Amino acid sequence: MSNIFSDLITALPEIFVLGMAMFILLLDLFLKPSQRGLIFWLSQLTLAGAATITVITHTPAVSYAFNGMFVDDPMADALKVMTYIGTAMMFVYTRHYLSLRGMFRGEYYALVLFAMVGMMVMISGQNFLTLYMGLELLSLCLYALVALDRDNPRATEAAMKYFVLGALASGMLLYGMSMMYGATGSLNIAEVGESLMQGAPTYSMLILGLVFIVAGLAFKLGAVPFQMWVPDVYHGSPTAMTMLIGSVPKLAAFAMVIRLLVQGLYVVAVDWQGMLVIMAVLSIAIGNVAAIAQTNIKRMLAYSTISHIGFLLFGLMSASMNGFASSMFYVSAYVLMTLAGFGMILLLSRQGFEAENLDDLKGLNQRSPWNAFLMLIVMFSMAGVPPTLGFYAKFTVLQAALEAGFVGLVIFAVLMAAVGAFYYLRVVKLMYFDEPQDTSPIDAPTGMRVMLSVNAIGLLVLGLMPQALMGISAYAMFYSIQ
Amino acid sequence: MIENSPYAFLLPLALLTAFAGVLLPLLAESHGRKLAAIAAGAVMAVSLALLVPLFALVVSGQTVVVPVEWLPDYGFNLAFRLDGLGMLFTILILGIGLLVVLYAYYYLPDKDKLGRFYALLLLFMSAMLGIVLSENLLMMVVFWEITSLSSFLLIAYKSEAYESRIAARMALVVTGGGGLALLAGIILLGQVAGSYELSQVIAAADLIKADPLYPLILTLVLLGAFTKSAQFPFHFWLPNAMAAPTPVSAYLHSATMVKAGVFLLARLYPVLSGTDAWLISVSAIGAITLVYGAYMAMYRDDFKGLLAYSTISHLGLITLLFGLSTPMSVVAGVFHIINHAIFKASLFMAAGIIDHECGTRDMRRVNGLFKLMPITATLAMVAAASMAGVPLLNGFLSKEMFFTEAVLFTGFDSSHLILPVFATIAGILAVAYSARFIHDVFFNGDPVDLPRQPHEPPRWMRVPVEILVLLCLVVGMFPARSVGTLLATAAGATLQAPLPAYDLKIWHGFNLALVMSVVALAGGVALYAQRATLIRWNDKLPSLNSKTGFERLHRFMAAQASRILAWLDNGSLQRYIALLCAFVLIYGGWASYRNMSLSDASFSGASSSPIDIAAMIALAAMALGTIGTTLLHHRRLLAVILIGIVGLVVSLTFVRFSAPDLALTQLSVEVVTIVLMLLALYYLPQTTPKESSRLRVGRDVLLAAGIGGGMALATYALLTSPFSTISDFYLQQSVPGGGGSNVVNVILVDFRGFDTLGEIAVLAMAALGAHALLDQLRLLPPKHDSAGRQWAQEPHPLFLRMLMQPLLPLALAVSVYIFLRGHNLPGGGFVAGLVTGVALILQSLAGGLSFAENRLPRSYPPLLGLGLAFAAGIGLVSWFFSRPFLTSAHGHFHLPLLGDIELASVIIFDLGVYLVVVATVLLILSELGKLHKGEQT
Repeated sequence: MSNIFSDLITALPEIFVLGMAMFILLLDLFLKPSQRGLIFWLSQLTLAGAATITVITHTPAVSYAFNGMFVDDPMADALKVMTYIGTAMMFVYTRHYLSLRGMFRGEYYALVLFAMVGMMVMISGQNFLTLYMGLELLSLCLYALVALDRDNPRATEAAMKYFVLGALASGMLLYGMSMMYGATGSLNIAEVGESLMQGAPTYSMLILGLVFIVAGLAFKLGAVPFQMWVPDVYHGSPTAMTMLIGSVPKLAAFAMVIRLLVQGLYVVAVDWQGMLVIMAVLSIAIGNVAAIAQTNIKRMLAYSTISHIGFLLFGLMSASMNGFASSMFYVSAYVLMTLAGFGMILLLSRQGFEAENLDDLKGLNQRSPWNAFLMLIVMFSMAGVPPTLGFYAKFTVLQAALEAGFVGLVIFAVLMAAVGAFYYLRVVKLMYFDEPQDTSPIDAPTGMRVMLSVNAIGLLVLGLMPQALMGISAYAMFYSIQ
Repeated sequence: MIENSPYAFLLPLALLTAFAGVLLPLLAESHGRKLAAIAAGAVMAVSLALLVPLFALVVSGQTVVVPVEWLPDYGFNLAFRLDGLGMLFTILILGIGLLVVLYAYYYLPDKDKLGRFYALLLLFMSAMLGIVLSENLLMMVVFWEITSLSSFLLIAYKSEAYESRIAARMALVVTGGGGLALLAGIILLGQVAGSYELSQVIAAADLIKADPLYPLILTLVLLGAFTKSAQFPFHFWLPNAMAAPTPVSAYLHSATMVKAGVFLLARLYPVLSGTDAWLISVSAIGAITLVYGAYMAMYRDDFKGLLAYSTISHLGLITLLFGLSTPMSVVAGVFHIINHAIFKASLFMAAGIIDHECGTRDMRRVNGLFKLMPITATLAMVAAASMAGVPLLNGFLSKEMFFTEAVLFTGFDSSHLILPVFATIAGILAVAYSARFIHDVFFNGDPVDLPRQPHEPPRWMRVPVEILVLLCLVVGMFPARSVGTLLATAAGATLQAPLPAYDLKIWHGFNLALVMSVVALAGGVALYAQRATLIRWNDKLPSLNSKTGFERLHRFMAAQASRILAWLDNGSLQRYIALLCAFVLIYGGWASYRNMSLSDASFSGASSSPIDIAAMIALAAMALGTIGTTLLHHRRLLAVILIGIVGLVVSLTFVRFSAPDLALTQLSVEVVTIVLMLLALYYLPQTTPKESSRLRVGRDVLLAAGIGGGMALATYALLTSPFSTISDFYLQQSVPGGGGSNVVNVILVDFRGFDTLGEIAVLAMAALGAHALLDQLRLLPPKHDSAGRQWAQEPHPLFLRMLMQPLLPLALAVSVYIFLRGHNLPGGGFVAGLVTGVALILQSLAGGLSFAENRLPRSYPPLLGLGLAFAAGIGLVSWFFSRPFLTSAHGHFHLPLLGDIELASVIIFDLGVYLVVVATVLLILSELGKLHKGEQT
């Protein structure tokens, strides 16, 4: 217990964000509506502070805390910093949207920050229980956020579905963890890994546990066949919440996959590889095919997320260092693309109008050529068209899968990407070649416009110079996974 | 061969200039369209000028390679390469590009500012340059995709026209999709060769051809090449793409973009050719395309469409030549690339002039233009003659080479005749459609009902055509002196081997090839003469149209996607849960099946406690209760009672397995929840509606049985596997560490006191949640039951009330007793709190809420706070003894003197638990009770 302070230092970012979230929640009670801007800036300050702490305390070394329940390694630091950045961007995007809809309140910021603590704990969890706790903290906040607009029946329905299915999936994950505990006698990920290395006594228990763990993880990621919640929740939630659900939590989910499957259960990689392969293929197939039939842009992006997750799994299923690094690169690229995509939907929404249907994008080029161009980049990037970031993301995961010998699957993925390109390009076609249905001017604050421009142009610039992000991913993986 | 010259830096610089130059026309646009055109032309000229110093090196047989390290980890370097093939294409791209810039300035309407057009054109040009100057194959694919995208934007330049949009999208889907296939092929190629650098890939050619992946690589690469070069059956996008402005067609669809496919064939010729697979697939597709394109060209009424199909045919010819894979056929292929680019670009431009002047492209209306625009007509006729393969023009030369090759070719074992016959047929058709173009457009009577009065175009609009036609003549008459070097360099680079001996002469003497040419010319003219019959005949043929096939595929995919969606994503939570469970069942079953050890390893040698009669009965009761709850859940009251039975049996089970503490807790919890549920039931209808169909119930039964059975099996396996529990540790440590012999209580308040503190905090929060939810809620309770009978008017029977009053002190006494003995014997704060709660609930049930309310505190949240404060406060006290918060402090007090303090601290903690539990129960109760007030007023 003498090292309690070093433990606290290791978890300082989490503690800081947690403290600030509580402070914000309390402070909000004493603020007048006109002073709510303070909450926004305090939240941003929290993120900046957490980023500073994370960066300052960063070392390439791996340090454990709380009896090995919590870990701080380069992967954790990198993913956390990305989480802060993503969340900060989201705050900028959503501010105007929320204030128009009466949701610009302290709860929103507190809940998002609590959810972020959950993500951070997931990223740094080194024990089944820590991971689960982080996951639940995140999930519960998300359920609440979806239902934040309580009088909106569609949002409430979405929250209900999300909650019921999410609880079921959490239950499965927990069940799998308990079996894993039964099989290995430990909850600590490193110890589980070591125990497996020495040969697990009850292999069947282990595999059954693995099935449930993978199912739970797949649900959180939104991989087929555990994807059912994704379209409904994306569609039903207020766009600001959809943006949150669709973006940064995937970083944490990715970290959790790495912690559980790679750091803990690498010995049985052959077994989880098989499951990931099926899910990757199904996700890419169903995600892309179903997206074609959508008329609602949020639903379309939901299916696009599913197919992106399929690509992410391609990197993971290679079960190689290169594969993990490319997956990390993919997930960071995905987060940036998703933020930009939803940022555009938020930009087009205004008082009393939700830009939701693909038709709302018609003729965007005539209404605002610059924004149409930005959306063009986003769509190209999502489709994986060079030289955008999305291309390199797809390229690296597919290359990793090829190195692992999945030749047929890679071909399949490429063909499916061609199908996918179809619906992204349909958006481009709508924007450039169709007559606008909605001719009202775009009403959005400057901050949001600038954010969107930076984000979308970033996709292009990072596409031209992807080495930085790739380097970070490779570095993080190399120093975190032995 | 590879050399780093001091001028090598010019290579990336030229490309950079081109890409950077894309912005220039946009910037120049505001200063007038002329400046935009000049800017575009300047960019091209500068790029060309930068490359010219390197040409000398290339001509001397060297290859310039400039590597720029970029992403070495991923094999992705910006490596540039200039060899003979690249030089040829560079000249075509930039040379014809310059002419197109000039031409487009006059072609596009004056109101068009041209900035966007030239920017797109430059973007396309830069990407095209990128393709031909890439040493790194991945980089080439990147540029390849950019050409697809920019051509998409160029085809749809007249975006207001529906035709353009459809055509652009189709072109993009086909060429973009082919690009993805190419990407896959290149990645595989790189994997096999170990590098993406072209030089190393070429060096590894034998390795690649021997690799089992070779057929796949070949297929994918050819898919890329064939889609781009509009080979059958992917040709359909090209005629549709004629919706593009004519300068775009002249540039993209004759000289550059469609040539990218054959460029790829030439580029990878040393790597992939030389196998039967290459020979058969490439030459067969080429031959089919050659004849099919020529045949279709004859029947186009739109002269631009005619040119498009003719392009398809000529591309087929080039493909066929590369397919034949003899050194000489490759030379012929490269030669035809040059010739075709020259005459086809000029024809497109001429066609554009005619379109521009007449306002229509229908050859049934555009007739007799020779009289109206003689110069243009002459130029177009020369170019068309070259297309037909008339001697003294460049088209004739490469066609002669092709015929010679067709005659000499011996690669096909079966028949030596097939190729010459094919070649002759194609020749005849080519002459026929060329004749149609010349005759219909320029002669054949007078124009019919033209939208505009045609006359000669502006002087400078004709200049590009003139230059190109002049080239046709020069190359046609002085082939060796004009393009001999270029051809030799390019063909040498393609072959990556010494060139065969050949002679670029007009006259090769009387040979079979010449006979074929003569037959083709004569036959073509004859065929054209019989065109009326032919057209009638053709109309009877079933139309073979892959364009409608494409559209059908598109519709089919959309329909299938909707069908899949309707099944997967119908918005029903029940469906989702069912799917989720089903997949888990499948996964779990599959995993267990694969490991097959659920039945052996885990179950063998398992020992469990023997089951006696009493336990059997209890189990049966529990199972019946559970099944009953499920079956009767539509009748709420019965369901609640049955669930109560299940709970009671569970508490009995705890007793049976020597866990009196748990039993006591379970019992109290059971009573409290059932009572609270009954209170809530009061406001609800007595039955719930039946919503599930029989089918769905059946499905759910199956799923539930599967999941439940699986869970039970897994649990059984887990419980019976050899395992050491942590119970022993707690049993041993309970008295020395916690000072109590009731292990459960010691764990709760001492070993895991922190957890308990957390739990009571959660309990308090739940109570506050209930408070927040119910505080302002007023419900109107039902007056009748479902059968229409009135509820009893007297809610609180006297008898019950009288019986309850003496029970209250008794129950309170019991709870105090249980509370105090908790540390050593079954009991504790939690159970005591529940007992108190039950007693008070019963009081209010018997006496009515107003009765209870008058005797209890008004507000419970403070009580919750007090309980939490007790529990947390005593934890803080241990800090004064320099011990950590709560837990460990108690474990370390061994001294008899401090033993008392330790006990007291634990009891105060337990008191906190007690208070929180009581307050929670009462708070929920009173909130539910307040709902009653609606009834009373």
